[in-house]
Amino acid sequence: MAQKNNDPEKREQINRGRRNFLKTAGVAPLAAGVAGAAIAEAQTGATIVGPGNVPVQLMVNGKRVNLNIEPRMTLLNALRNKADLTGNKRGCDRGVCGACTMIIDGRTAYSCSTLAIEVQGKQIRTVDGLANGATLHPVQQAFCDRDALMCGFCTPGFVMATVALIEKHPNPTPAQVKAGLDGNICRCGTFTRIMEAATSVKGVARG
Amino acid sequence: MAKAQNPAPQPAPPGPTANAKKYAWPEKPVVLSTRVKRLDGPDKVSGRARYSFDINRPGMIFGKIVRSPHPHARVTAVDLNEARRAPGVRAALVWKEPGRGPENEVRYQGEPVAAVAADTEEQAIDAARLVRVTYDVLDHVATEAQAMASDASVVFEGGNTRKGATQEAGNLEEGFKQAAHIVEQTYSTHVITHVCMESHGCVCEWEGDKLTAWVSTQGVHASRQQLADGLKIPQANIRCVTQYMGGGFGSKVAVGAEGLICARLAQQATAPVKLFLDRKEEHLDTGNRPSAFAKIRAGVSADGKLTAFDGQSWGTGGAGQPSGFPLPYIYQFPNRRRVHTDVFINAGTQRPMRAPGHPQGCFLTEILMDELADRVRMDPVEFRIKNLPEASPNAAWGDYFMQGARAFGWAKRHPTGDPTPGPIRNGFGVSAHQWGGGGRAGRAHCEITSDGGVVMRAGTQDIGTGTRTIVAMLTAETLGLPVSAVKPEIGDTMYPACGASGGSTTAASISPAIRIAAGKALDQLFEKVAPQLGVTADMLVADAGRIHVKGSASKGMTWKDACKLISTEPISVDGEWEAGLSSTGTSGVQFTEVDVDIETGIVKVKRVLTVQDCGLIVDRLTAESQVYGGIIGSLNFALFEDRILDRVTGQMVNPNMESYLLAGMSDIPKIDVMLVDTPVQRARGVIGIGEPPTVSTASSIANAVRNATGATVRSLPLHPHRILAAIEEQKAGGTQ
Repeated sequence: MAQKNNDPEKREQINRGRRNFLKTAGVAPLAAGVAGAAIAEAQTGATIVGPGNVPVQLMVNGKRVNLNIEPRMTLLNALRNKADLTGNKRGCDRGVCGACTMIIDGRTAYSCSTLAIEVQGKQIRTVDGLANGATLHPVQQAFCDRDALMCGFCTPGFVMATVALIEKHPNPTPAQVKAGLDGNICRCGTFTRIMEAATSVKGVARG
Repeated sequence: MAKAQNPAPQPAPPGPTANAKKYAWPEKPVVLSTRVKRLDGPDKVSGRARYSFDINRPGMIFGKIVRSPHPHARVTAVDLNEARRAPGVRAALVWKEPGRGPENEVRYQGEPVAAVAADTEEQAIDAARLVRVTYDVLDHVATEAQAMASDASVVFEGGNTRKGATQEAGNLEEGFKQAAHIVEQTYSTHVITHVCMESHGCVCEWEGDKLTAWVSTQGVHASRQQLADGLKIPQANIRCVTQYMGGGFGSKVAVGAEGLICARLAQQATAPVKLFLDRKEEHLDTGNRPSAFAKIRAGVSADGKLTAFDGQSWGTGGAGQPSGFPLPYIYQFPNRRRVHTDVFINAGTQRPMRAPGHPQGCFLTEILMDELADRVRMDPVEFRIKNLPEASPNAAWGDYFMQGARAFGWAKRHPTGDPTPGPIRNGFGVSAHQWGGGGRAGRAHCEITSDGGVVMRAGTQDIGTGTRTIVAMLTAETLGLPVSAVKPEIGDTMYPACGASGGSTTAASISPAIRIAAGKALDQLFEKVAPQLGVTADMLVADAGRIHVKGSASKGMTWKDACKLISTEPISVDGEWEAGLSSTGTSGVQFTEVDVDIETGIVKVKRVLTVQDCGLIVDRLTAESQVYGGIIGSLNFALFEDRILDRVTGQMVNPNMESYLLAGMSDIPKIDVMLVDTPVQRARGVIGIGEPPTVSTASSIANAVRNATGATVRSLPLHPHRILAAIEEQKAGGTQ
């Protein structure tokens, strides 16, 4: 579990180490506003945008989404707050619980820890675009058939993680399901049924 | 639900009312007790379900709360000016009035002090950082031991502790005289937080003096009442809506400060405001399960009968909150004494959490039971059966122990301490639990229209158990229709008042109301159909989508044709909970097998088997899901989660989900659920099953670890260092 350190001198050493790390990692100049931005640009040659709103164009579920947002906005917040795509959820907001899981260029990603501006030009899939009208995706259908959800708030993330898994392993073994879904947390405790659902999905082609 | 209490012994239930007799549950149900898939599953898996967190309103802005970084301080000044000037800010308010009195103190890290609202969530977070709060930092206590120390600063008015009344029975001295063996130990459980996946919060929108609040709550009507009280406006001016909510586990019975703050920000900004807490705020300020400690001296006779129990218990529910739990749990100590002390620390306050009090009391007692069983060299199951209270339909552990032991293969259990060489040791554990559940007030409204449509409305809400689905099932059963023919409407204060979803009471409260509302509506339809068939209404039945004369299926008409007899005025009938269709009291047992690595201290739960009753099962599929969920929740309590406060600073060191650990897919054991479905249980009516299964898994895991290692861990959670320490202690001669 989390290590405590109550020795003030030792703590100071650690903090100094952290500050040095931040400096060398180049995070401090970026955070320092316009002057810092100029330095960063000189150092890296990257284009600096923001801090105000900038146009961001995303490809979400095969449709173009044009947004005018701050560059610091996460993909999850951009879609939930600016595009009314609320299917994927925010649980922990730091890449642990997986409720925000989307598929970006074929790979699962924590959209709460992905900047919207970073994924321009990529194919973003969210749970909102998975069903074909009233016809559920086979993974969604399996979740319903096996009652692999209760409150359902983590479910969109589990569904997306399962879709990515099934597209890689159309008939996953329990070990593959565990490996594929260990990045998601359900507080109601539906794991038993999610395992049943994930190992019973039929009719998904390899992605 | 608000207070932890032992549900047994129960007062004699009131006899069934006339309506309960008239609309008794069918002997051979068609829909009830079958496996019906949850009706809102497709909406939830597709992202179409709008949780309160997902509500986006035109012109909506975002709220953010400023919270105390100190565990104890006096707020002497709050300056909102800089925050008000920040980009996008539309409202700012002081929540904790500054001053010099006790009412100006914050008593835990994370207590709300002020709030802002801005056009975007990011701007609101920025502005919250610009609120200047001046604190006089005061002494704090961060642990139970600090609070109870003789030289502790008294940080709570009236003292850091509050001693309860002594509970006594029999003659303690006599009881210990009868004892051949005495165990004297201290046992404890830790504080955990609810960690609802959807955080607490709401969207508030005013239209003149009327407020609509989309709240993430376990009680829409309770929320309306609390908002009205807090805002000092009539309840009639408030509508609360919760179509979908992402978990509550007891922590969302109240709207909390965040609800009132959101409403006030929306008023000030004259715009809809969304305010949902972040994960850190969730851990700090939306409740927790109190800790529990007990110093116990217990005696057992040479032939394995419990003789005496003397326990001093304490625990903390945080700043000024109680921490009660039942002790001893279930097993009969004829001579006993127990006194409990609430200990206050500067930490977030407790809220009811899934079976409040029971997991604690269960653990403290069940570990003791295995220690006592070993003293008299009895099998733990046999020893428990010997010391149970008298059997009844809500106290049937004896039967369940036998059934469960057979199904689990308990006979293969080795005595305490797996003799197998090597680092991996295997063990079996057992435990029992009880819970009240049962019905109380609840209302429903049934409408049948001339097109054959059926709507059942109830101002209840779905906390995740599948309430919407059982509303439709109960209605369909009563009207002889398929489940798909009923439209259930819940989660709105526009519908008849129902209680909050707490204490496993939802199903048992709404089921009688729905049964009676649907039954009465059907009676009215029968009155219209009877003359057409030339019979009297009492000769009719509704079955398989038809209304026909009893015993003569061909003499009747389809549901659709029958409903054509309804005029433009629909059949519209209210029902409410009445005694006789629900019961209270459930019992269950659990068996667990674990592997323990005695070199690393890591526990792997291999399988759990439970025998559980819940009266008349409504939806077998979702009932089983609740049992799985309860067991997994308790596995988290046993092995992973732990709210860790730094004992020097009083700060929570793991207010997140990466170091506040919860089980993932790889941690889940094989789970076998044996729901008891007997004529005796069916006759009891609906009870509720959300909480019972989560009570005792942690205890059976701990006993399995003891059986595997031969070492007793008397303190949850079963983190590796505790297991290794217990093994070392055992090697050094132990405490046995």
